[in-house]
Amino acid sequence: MVLTFTLLVPLVAAIILLAMPRTARLDVPLALGAAGVTMALTIAAAIWRPVVNVRWIRSLGIRWHFETDGLSIALVLLTALLTLAAVLHTASGDGPHGGSRSTMLGAVLLVETGALGTFLARDAILFFVAFEVVLIPMWVLIRYFGDDHVRDEVRADAASRFIFFTVLGSTLMLIGILLLVHHQGTSDLAALAKAGGSGLSRPLQIAIAALLIGGLGIKIPLWPVHTWLPSAHTIAPTVGSVLLAAILLKMGTYGIIRLAVGTVPEGVAAVSPILAVLGVVGILWGGLACLVERDLKRLIAYSSVAHMGFVALALASGNHTGLQAALLGNIAHGLVSALLFFIVGDLKEQWGSSDLAVARAALRDKAPRFGLSLVVGLAAALGLPGLISFWGEFLALYAAWSPADGRPVALLRACVIAGAVGLALAAAYSLRVARIVWAGEGSDPAAEPVHDLVGTRYAVVVTLVAAIVLLGLAPHLLLNVSDLDAQTLLTAVRR
Amino acid sequence: MTTLSIDAGRLLPALVPVGGVVAVLLLDLFSPRLRRAPYVIALVASLGSAAAAIPGLRLGAGETLTTLCVPPSSTAQALDGLPGTCFWQAGALASTLQLTAALAAALTLVLAWPWSRTSGPEVSDVGADSHREPIEAVLMLTALTGAVVVAASHDVGTWLIGLELATLPIVALIALPGTRSAIAGAMQLLMTSLVSFAVLVLGVALWFAASGSPFLSADAALRAEAATGTAGWGVLALSVALLITGLGFKLSLVPFHAWTPTAYAGSRTAVAAFLATVSKIAALAALLVVLQALTAVGTSALVIIAVLSVASMTLGNIMALRQDNVVLLLAWSTVAQAGWVVLPLVSMSTAGARASATYLLTYIVATLVAFAVVGMTVRELPAEGRLLTAYAGLWQRSPWRAGALALALTSLAGLPPGVIGLIGKVVALRPVLAEGWVWLAIIAAANAVLGVAVYTRWLRPVIMTGAPAGAAAHSTGVEAGPTPGVAAASVRPGRIRLRQPVDRVALMFALVVASVLLVAVSVQPDLLLSLLG
Repeated sequence: MVLTFTLLVPLVAAIILLAMPRTARLDVPLALGAAGVTMALTIAAAIWRPVVNVRWIRSLGIRWHFETDGLSIALVLLTALLTLAAVLHTASGDGPHGGSRSTMLGAVLLVETGALGTFLARDAILFFVAFEVVLIPMWVLIRYFGDDHVRDEVRADAASRFIFFTVLGSTLMLIGILLLVHHQGTSDLAALAKAGGSGLSRPLQIAIAALLIGGLGIKIPLWPVHTWLPSAHTIAPTVGSVLLAAILLKMGTYGIIRLAVGTVPEGVAAVSPILAVLGVVGILWGGLACLVERDLKRLIAYSSVAHMGFVALALASGNHTGLQAALLGNIAHGLVSALLFFIVGDLKEQWGSSDLAVARAALRDKAPRFGLSLVVGLAAALGLPGLISFWGEFLALYAAWSPADGRPVALLRACVIAGAVGLALAAAYSLRVARIVWAGEGSDPAAEPVHDLVGTRYAVVVTLVAAIVLLGLAPHLLLNVSDLDAQTLLTAVRR
Repeated sequence: MTTLSIDAGRLLPALVPVGGVVAVLLLDLFSPRLRRAPYVIALVASLGSAAAAIPGLRLGAGETLTTLCVPPSSTAQALDGLPGTCFWQAGALASTLQLTAALAAALTLVLAWPWSRTSGPEVSDVGADSHREPIEAVLMLTALTGAVVVAASHDVGTWLIGLELATLPIVALIALPGTRSAIAGAMQLLMTSLVSFAVLVLGVALWFAASGSPFLSADAALRAEAATGTAGWGVLALSVALLITGLGFKLSLVPFHAWTPTAYAGSRTAVAAFLATVSKIAALAALLVVLQALTAVGTSALVIIAVLSVASMTLGNIMALRQDNVVLLLAWSTVAQAGWVVLPLVSMSTAGARASATYLLTYIVATLVAFAVVGMTVRELPAEGRLLTAYAGLWQRSPWRAGALALALTSLAGLPPGVIGLIGKVVALRPVLAEGWVWLAIIAAANAVLGVAVYTRWLRPVIMTGAPAGAAAHSTGVEAGPTPGVAAASVRPGRIRLRQPVDRVALMFALVVASVLLVAVSVQPDLLLSLLG
């Protein structure tokens, strides 16, 4: 019941918010209440680990089966936390430009519903349905609440790219799921993982793994299908960017772990060299793009491509450390990208654009709270030891250096070396941003300074910074949570 | 020589609408000025037909309700080698299609509900004293009868007659208003019907030649395969190809789709809705009768179905992307969706037939909602209600109607919140993958993206909020192409309340019923899926 309510609370609140007249004043309390209750419910779910498993669509054998485990619970909590942060952020501003605030809050809560459903689902087709739920609300966020300094066609282009790419990805994933379900005779993910691909021929396993990883790779996004991401991030409103980077991208990597790694191990092993190479190309490509990118939001988006490349590399290693690194990297990137997008989004709102070439007042002097949080975010992005991203990326490289049996060691080691170069690039672009925005290189002291963070928005940023530092100092908190389940998943694979 | 044994109770799904036709005609004889009474009778008759189809829903696999049976000792034995054959065989699948056709016809009748005489542009263009309501009611009931009959038909004669009965009245329905576009649409449909009838008759003749049996049954098909060796098999294959071609016209599969946009554009909204729902059910039911007979035989028709399916999806979606008129958009979307409907039939099995019917049902529920919304919008804005621009800011003007339209469009696109559309895609793709046609599934996936592009194009103005109505109309007008000026003028809030509320009650009712249905099956898709077992 708890899990059903975890999904129903944001869903019902979202429907009410969408149906609300524009003049209603109750939108903020309602959205806050719903996000708060959902947060409480997910915490309860994390403690008691409830299960709901009832019949939903009997004729297709699809069950309403939601469950938490070590692989997903951290992502569930992250989703609830960031949705609450997004609602608080929206509530504290002047209200969005493209439409009414209640619509925007409704879309945010719908994204939450879909993301929670995806992370909690234990039925392959239910997973797919939940996976699709986020599309239309995110499309609305980008299309209507996006940057209103650009022309309408630019917004339309960004929103369309987002939805077309992701629909293609999820339909390919659906084909993979249906092939798998047809041949294994069940859509229960636990049963599928337990079967571990037994009874499937090797070519079939490879085909399924390629379809699943190819489809989900669009969501992650892997190079070369990442092209939807920068424009979507640039145009999306602050909360849209946060949800997109911190939650939606995770659905891709989580989907690979949940759908592919356990169910078609041989296929994943065969595809993983390609996954590793694409991940590393993404790391380098993203890093190089960040060195020359002028638009700050777009730059953070490219850095997301690079960071998710590390997660892909970790997954390609196929061992326990790699799986742990991928899960940790997911959370790390979720927190760091959320922090960066909250800051950069606010800066863009105040500046009117996020062009780095425009001379502005240095944050260090004029807006120290902004400045300090940005520096923490950038330090985390470059993988500074002591902050959470370091562990995700370090472990990813470590895992890929000595991959599981049957993976091409030489290739993966070459990928590790290239990934290390990517870390250096991350340091270079992070320092470039810090130099321009924070220290104020080429700044214009006379320019009108931004208003510093205050109130709720400050609290949101401080919470994220605290989480990044805390989990950076004690990563075992997260690693312990997923340790056992990651082990189980891989044991089933080896058996 | 014994005669046919007739069980009238089992024929009720077809007899009730026929009774309705007779009742309307009699009423018209005595009191020709009545306008609403024929519609009431027609509505009752189609609901009665739906109710009469219900007993067939609970039949298990292989069970059929049969009547019009020829006893073993008659000539049919010589023909078919069977202990006895029935001309009417309604299994669970056929009964479900009959039920859906009857319900869709009922909803369409409500959509077409006559207005009070003083209002309404569609009345004024034919003169105040003309009354075509009884004729419309009769035509719709006749077409419904055809759809019901063809679903249960088992011999080529009944099958052909049922199919034409489902088509020809619609030609008259389209032509009734007498406008230029109406005549053009009716002519297109008439020509198509004639050509497809010719093709079907040829196909039927070849079927008879190959199998020596007038029955569309598995035994006949097997006999054709066995009896005359490769030559017989070739004739049978040719016959099936011709039958699929003929039905391709009715289902608007590319390349037999050309009539669809013209006919939709020329018809009134309710008639277009009838074309998109009841006619499609009739065509698919006819196709399933043929294919189910072939399940026992083999695989010759598969490739032609795959090709037709891919061509329909692709061309339908691409053309739909270019439309600024929502009825044309729905017409091309019918073409694309027809591709999805026949997609699962590449697996020539009961599962494939069920999946195809399921997909058709999801499409019909969503399409009826879309047409109901279009009907309401056309009634409010007679001149521009069919243009995309008329939907700008609908969310602000009437959130519930916009919500219903959004749900319908997302269902057609196969995205949540239209969960039923998504489940429809799952159902349609399953048999394809079960047969291992991965390449076909991947083409379908690419078309799912195109479909999303089509429907988000309509969804965009609908949920456009914030901007004032005039600006919204203007900005979409620019994107939509040639008619920004008309559109900008059209969305004046003042004009929306002009019509008398009485006229909208029926439409509102149809919309609410269809939307409730759509929401219900989206929350619990099993409601729809379990109809087909």
